[in-house]
Amino acid sequence: MEENEFFGEKTFQRYCAEFIKHSQQIGDGWEWRTSKEALELPLDDFEVTESTATNEVIKYEYHVLYSCSYQVPVLYFRASFLDGRPLALKDIWEGVHECYKTRLLQGPWDTISQQEHPILGQPFFVLHPCKTNEFMTPVLKNSRKINRNVNYITSWLSLVGPVVGLHLPLSYAGAASQDE
Amino acid sequence: MTDDKDVLRDVWFGRIPTCFTLYQDEITEREAEPYYLLLPRVSYLTLVTDKVKKHFQKVMRQEDISEIWFEYEGTPLKWHYPIGLLFDLLASSSALPWNITVHFKSFPEKDLLHCPSKDAVEAHFMSCVKEADALKHKSQVINEMQKKDHKQLWMGLQNDRFDQFWAINRKLMEYPAEENGFRYIPFRIYQTTTERPFIQKLFRPVAADGQLHTLGDLLREVCPSALAPEDNPTPKRQGLDVQACAQKV
Repeated sequence: MEENEFFGEKTFQRYCAEFIKHSQQIGDGWEWRTSKEALELPLDDFEVTESTATNEVIKYEYHVLYSCSYQVPVLYFRASFLDGRPLALKDIWEGVHECYKTRLLQGPWDTISQQEHPILGQPFFVLHPCKTNEFMTPVLKNSRKINRNVNYITSWLSLVGPVVGLHLPLSYAGAASQDE
Repeated sequence: MTDDKDVLRDVWFGRIPTCFTLYQDEITEREAEPYYLLLPRVSYLTLVTDKVKKHFQKVMRQEDISEIWFEYEGTPLKWHYPIGLLFDLLASSSALPWNITVHFKSFPEKDLLHCPSKDAVEAHFMSCVKEADALKHKSQVINEMQKKDHKQLWMGLQNDRFDQFWAINRKLMEYPAEENGFRYIPFRIYQTTTERPFIQKLFRPVAADGQLHTLGDLLREVCPSALAPEDNPTPKRQGLDVQACAQKV
């Protein structure tokens, strides 16, 4: 039985630090925030504007948190029109590319749902983390095989981000293999 | 678990007498009488208030009705928190019945999750059970169960069937004989005095020397302010002042 690619919180913080360093270099807008009461669940935040087919501008906000229950990172996000009106789950769903929809529809827990942000206490959308380990393990195994350094956060975010409209500039990949 | 059966039943059958009143600015065709109901502590508002909804909608026009939401003394009530938790957190020092205000418009998007159907409550509940099992058993027990077992767990809660629920839940409460407990204790500590909604951390039930941890040990480690006698109220679990070791289901 192979050991799953779980990682602890310190490792999470280290990968985030490297990720943020590159973000600062290219002006990508990610920030590191810690909660005043505990350093337990740090988060990153990224705002981007995107136009939809109906020419409405939508603002997306992405947070990366660490789940100590599943020992993986989790992507929280919310979206609103410029006048502050939040997008509903069905609007978010409409924005998901067809090729991802089938996968997401397979399991009730592998999907996007609205949940309370564990630090802010406000409604956010979340990609459920319980299968993260399943798809990250082969990624990490393969890079070990070819002796390549991998930033878990970069790899993970490049896999889950596009599902919900978050695309990482390719330069993150270059940065990951330069670290260490 | 058998000697705890009485405690399990007491927790399951705990009720809060509640008075639901329609918000004064809602548009009605005639006066709306308050509605009284005993709410189960272990359930969720949107699961047990069908009768409340029907009662008030009888005196309203369809066009004045959108998603129902509840509020206590100006605070929107998070339906995804167990009812007993909401009461203990917000109203335990007030006289009974618990007075809740019912709204059908101006849904507070920034505060409350939407609850489009009972399926949303089921998804949320099962998500919590799954996360708890990730902590207790690395998800092994919940993942080995069949879909029909998950369904039975949910139906037991929805239909207030203690035996039906515990037939499945007892498997989630077991641990191998060679261990002395779960891998980690699934718990959350809620306080009104803090900005973040709850405290949740990894905590092992057994110390390195083999001693069983108590609830006091847990509080001392993750929330020491809760034990300061002067300004903090005593910790409550399902309305009972806690004295000994307890585990969250």
